[in-house]
Amino acid sequence: MTEHALILEDVSVRKSGNFLLSGINLRIEKNEFVGVIGPNGAGKTTLLNVIAGFEKFSGGLRLFGKGQTWRRSRAARLSIGYVPQLAQIDPGFPILAGQAVMTGSVGRTGLFNKPGKHEQMEALRLMEMMRVAHLAGRPFGHLSGGERQKVLLARAIVQQPDLLLLDEPTANLDIAVQKEVLNLIDEISESRALTILFVTHDFNMLPARLRRAVLLKDGRKFFDGEAALALTGDVLSRLFEYRLETFERNGRRFVSYG
Amino acid sequence: MVESILEILSCPPIQRALAACILCGAGSALLSVFVVLMRMPLIGVSMSHAAFAGAVLGMLMGFNPFLSGFILCLLAAAVLGPLSDRADMAPENILGIMFSFLMGVAFLGMGILTRSKASALSLMWGSLLTLSNADLAVLAVVTIALTVFIVLFFKEIRAVLFNRRLAAASGVPERAIYYTLLFFTGAVISSNLATVGGLLIFALLVQPGAVAMQLTYNLKTFFWISAATGMLACLAGLTASYVFDIPSGAAVVLAATILFALAFVFSPKRRRTRAGANKSIL
Repeated sequence: MTEHALILEDVSVRKSGNFLLSGINLRIEKNEFVGVIGPNGAGKTTLLNVIAGFEKFSGGLRLFGKGQTWRRSRAARLSIGYVPQLAQIDPGFPILAGQAVMTGSVGRTGLFNKPGKHEQMEALRLMEMMRVAHLAGRPFGHLSGGERQKVLLARAIVQQPDLLLLDEPTANLDIAVQKEVLNLIDEISESRALTILFVTHDFNMLPARLRRAVLLKDGRKFFDGEAALALTGDVLSRLFEYRLETFERNGRRFVSYG
Repeated sequence: MVESILEILSCPPIQRALAACILCGAGSALLSVFVVLMRMPLIGVSMSHAAFAGAVLGMLMGFNPFLSGFILCLLAAAVLGPLSDRADMAPENILGIMFSFLMGVAFLGMGILTRSKASALSLMWGSLLTLSNADLAVLAVVTIALTVFIVLFFKEIRAVLFNRRLAAASGVPERAIYYTLLFFTGAVISSNLATVGGLLIFALLVQPGAVAMQLTYNLKTFFWISAATGMLACLAGLTASYVFDIPSGAAVVLAATILFALAFVFSPKRRRTRAGANKSIL
């Protein structure tokens, strides 16, 4: 039996009478790269929040074999890296890009300890990998959206997580920058033993290494399987309740209106 | 001239006022870094009104007004903290309700308090020249404790200020830091009811941080500039109040506003963005 990074058993989230998630069962193996895809309001972000420990839920959740509630130990939190959607930040906010990356190591360093040379070198190395090392001394708020997301990717990895949660990390970026960020995510997945959950509503823009797709609709699991099987006109039309077609060109699959 | 200054400085109430200026300026200015960077100026307003309302109620019931102010301040923090974390209500609305409610409580108390309205009014704008040694001791303990907290947990504080959610996700005790800050906000405000008062303290909870925001991208420098601004505003205000015989609290607030206006006009951060904008056009 392979070891699971994450097991959800009958997980539900209920808020003011409505089910944001209902009866989600999910098993994700170590080092799997899974896409969580669905229309707006399907519960994708809620699911990610449950896994990250931001949201109360009912049902069972096991993280690397250990049962968890929404309250987590520091060790459990350290095992999960998180990259949010592009967030607004005051351009004058007093933090440099390199310092922003280092905030990812604060939890691991622990109270009353100072991060050592090793952590700082690691942060710089990751910034190089994300092609943002030259921005380390610039105020974070001055960076473009794409640069900020690359810095936040480096920030999440410097924490040395075993599970990486990406909540629409490419939303609101232009198409070329989206592709750059996706390529970097592929690079991370290739070079590290890391389980990745990638949330998106844009199936034209998926990382190449993403193999498995979990489709959500109205808080329920709608499909779980190979990404190639999920991205068919029939499945997607039912998912979005709108006629959609897929077509292939140069070995890639595209989605379009029917 | 020098002799007369020395003579003034040897007078104990003046010495106490000067010490209080430095402590009050530093303490509230350090807090203003959080108020400005976490964008929660309304929390500052609500809590200073809670302290004020608590103090008025304390007077009414024969309690130590500073203690009751502190307690109501902490109660307000205990309500505000979790409420402002809820996504289903806009924090501005919650704070607005809280703020007006506390104001109502305070004025109700003042209406009932027929005999000593003057002392209630002094809680509103304080009085630097009539401080007791006990006032000063409390102020010193609170300010030093806040400074120690900031120095010890600087890297955690930076992570939380940058992004609370990301900090929580990376194993930083984000809630503990946030609630400790709310606690200190209450402690600083209520210990300063005697110095600049419950209404005017609000200026010192925003302006020093806003001054630093104009001047630096470095968080450490940010704290230093803010603290220096707070102390300078307090000292300048006290001096002006002595020289021109005007209310000290008001003079402090006006001094802080002048410092902010100067920082805004001479801000290198704003100039850089302007220069950058020109370059991109060329």
